[in-house]
Amino acid sequence: MLFNSLTFVAFFALVLALHNAPLPWKVKKTNLLLASYLFYAAWNPPFVILLWLSTIVDWHVAKKIFAEDRQGRRRGWVLVSILVNLGLLGYFKYGGFLLENWQGMMSAIGVTWTAPGWNIVLPVGISFYTFQTMAYSLDVYLRRAKPADSLLDFALFVTFFPQLVAGPIVRPTQLIPQFREPVRASRDQLLWGLGLITLGLFQKIVIADGALAPAADAVFGAEAAVPFSDAWLGTLAFAGQIFSDFAGYSTAAIGIALCLGFSLPDNFRFPYAAIGFSDFWRRWHISLSTWLRDYLYIPLGGNRKGWHRTQVNLMVTMLLGGLWHGAAWTFVVWGGLHGLYLGIERFIRERWGHATVASTAGFRLFLALLTYFLVNLTWVFFRARSFPQAWSMTRSMLGFGVEGSVLVLSTYLVITVLTVTIGMLAVHWYMRSRRLEEVVAKSPWWLTGLVWAGMLFLIVITQGSGDAFIYFQF
Amino acid sequence: MSWPRVAVLAAVIVAVGVGAWEAYWRVAQRYEASYRNSDGQWAEVRRRVDAREPNATVFIGSSRTQFDIDLDVWQEMTGVHGIQLALEGSNALPILTHIAEDEDFAGLLVVGITPPLVFFPGIGLRADAVQHYFDETPSQWLGNKLSYPLETRLAFYNIDTKLFTVLTRQEWWPDRPGLPWQQQEVRKIENMRRDRQADLWDRVEDDPEFNAIVTGTWQDILENLPPPPPPEVAQAAFEALLEQVAADVTRIRERGGEVVFIRPPSSDWFREFERQASPREMVWESIVGAAGAVGVHSEDYPELSGVRTPEWSHISSRDKARWTRALVGILRDRMAERGLHRPEMGS
Repeated sequence: MLFNSLTFVAFFALVLALHNAPLPWKVKKTNLLLASYLFYAAWNPPFVILLWLSTIVDWHVAKKIFAEDRQGRRRGWVLVSILVNLGLLGYFKYGGFLLENWQGMMSAIGVTWTAPGWNIVLPVGISFYTFQTMAYSLDVYLRRAKPADSLLDFALFVTFFPQLVAGPIVRPTQLIPQFREPVRASRDQLLWGLGLITLGLFQKIVIADGALAPAADAVFGAEAAVPFSDAWLGTLAFAGQIFSDFAGYSTAAIGIALCLGFSLPDNFRFPYAAIGFSDFWRRWHISLSTWLRDYLYIPLGGNRKGWHRTQVNLMVTMLLGGLWHGAAWTFVVWGGLHGLYLGIERFIRERWGHATVASTAGFRLFLALLTYFLVNLTWVFFRARSFPQAWSMTRSMLGFGVEGSVLVLSTYLVITVLTVTIGMLAVHWYMRSRRLEEVVAKSPWWLTGLVWAGMLFLIVITQGSGDAFIYFQF
Repeated sequence: MSWPRVAVLAAVIVAVGVGAWEAYWRVAQRYEASYRNSDGQWAEVRRRVDAREPNATVFIGSSRTQFDIDLDVWQEMTGVHGIQLALEGSNALPILTHIAEDEDFAGLLVVGITPPLVFFPGIGLRADAVQHYFDETPSQWLGNKLSYPLETRLAFYNIDTKLFTVLTRQEWWPDRPGLPWQQQEVRKIENMRRDRQADLWDRVEDDPEFNAIVTGTWQDILENLPPPPPPEVAQAAFEALLEQVAADVTRIRERGGEVVFIRPPSSDWFREFERQASPREMVWESIVGAAGAVGVHSEDYPELSGVRTPEWSHISSRDKARWTRALVGILRDRMAERGLHRPEMGS
């Protein structure tokens, strides 16, 4: 069920009413659990079985690990969790990709073999909940946390509908303790939560789908190559679209949870004002980047095993992070480019990071714009349908004209993309070191009301197309 | 921060804003609340084919079939409430294949032919509707049901009045030098019922300025159709298409069903374009001939051609009942000539 659907409005109203009804806490949690299964089944009912499988396996595995002192056995149990979760992910998400590449490799060495058809439907959000449940077993294995006391609490942690299908990826220590004691949103929390839902839906429906998607789709869907101007405009449009789409989902998810009295972590902090790539990854999809840091980069050795090993660890983490997003080599290149940027940044910081010029406002603004420029180059690989298209777009964006290129964007789309992009960058820069809560708290009440009404009104008259959030496919 | 005060202010502003927006579309633009012709609505009507065999009468084709057939008159004359599956801007022939593949269907299939559209690769504009029928999730199914009460109460809740659609079509945007032709969005030209009967909007008929926008859009689209493939390629594709038509019709007949073809009227510039681009003997006669089916071409019957088509392509809502009545009578006669007595035709 999509947040931007009438079905969700009805569903959430019912869940909210039940959650505020005078019922025992255990009944309320059971309601939330059933609602979460219903939320997931609304896409494809049989896939709820995958949630159950992931829940049951990690519930038992974590208990076994916790009860076991022998390291070999502990490792064996944690491997069960990893194999089951990555197995699900591998089968549903990467099966076709692996077969296709195997076929290519065989063909390269002269073996003709045709892979069987692989028409497996990707269960929505599988990358998110498998990582979340794996983190639970890993935390117990790494002795960072104890297993949950209650299966109900654990099942709700795995399934909690606000963040089930597109994050934020929540750690067990962040959410499970919140299920122990009865919680209910205060009046102000409820209204703040509704405000966040409005902001998230505004980002999704008005900015991502309404204003920017037409330009991004036109450029990346064009049959012929596009010239410099349209290549840039299409990429800027996609940069804004994917941010607004994904941050919109996260913001709405945080708002929905807050309306129920629960707190979810931030997933975005105005990433297009990032100065450098380590800063970017502290602001973009924070729950994934910290997951990868804690469960991949640090176990690989992090930065503790020398300069060269650190660079390798960074690159491996980013390549796998790229692959997490989708079963295609273009995503791997996207991750690889970020790994490369991070490596170069680390190198530069170590040598010239303390130079006086590095702390001047003008230079920081220059670095922020440079970061944004380089991030945009990576988005081309993320969005392109194929490598030839990605190369063609990159060549156009770098000023190496592509023969036969054709304009695709109307004046309306050009002006829309530029207006939204400049507005978005200004907001990100202003909010770079601020928190939304602080800014709202300092604003006059009537201004907050006006802005809220403006967003809501624009959502209503944009109407929305009911398009799925981009990150659902990951 | 006094959140209740903020929320009340926001709610009041939104209520006033939405009210003003609705009033603008109703009063200044004469819009009426009407079903949105969504993919979900098509899927809902499509499912009736599965549930209603063997007496279903199904209409497929483009918007002409959808606008021109009056389902109430059809029911009055035949006793069967037809299932309207025609889709605007879409080619009927892939839908014919889709229905032929549905083993549940053994009724009467009325196929509307709009000559330029039969050369479309695939279904065309509304291909998503058919895909939606196969892929609809429980959430989409429920969302569709929840949407209906809004569709029938709010005039602005319409794909033609979406904010960014409205912004796109404003004339104040200057042309971009070097930009190739781009198709403009087709404006709202109908009001639709739950059973997908569409009636040509009165405004198209009695507002000359709006009428000119609609006819200008048809002309713009048709003058910019992609160039046809080389003759030998086109010929081979057309022969394959005719073979498919014959196979589909045979398949439906083998289950006890029947297929008839109709050619709804068009006029003025549109008709002339069709005459030149897809001559009757080349397209219509070939398809009906390949199918070996009853075919009723509007131009062969004065009672079918003597109707108003205000924007050249669809029958006026004031004439559609008369046209449908005449069509049923002619179809009955033509089918009887072939010894076809179908319960769906009340014969």
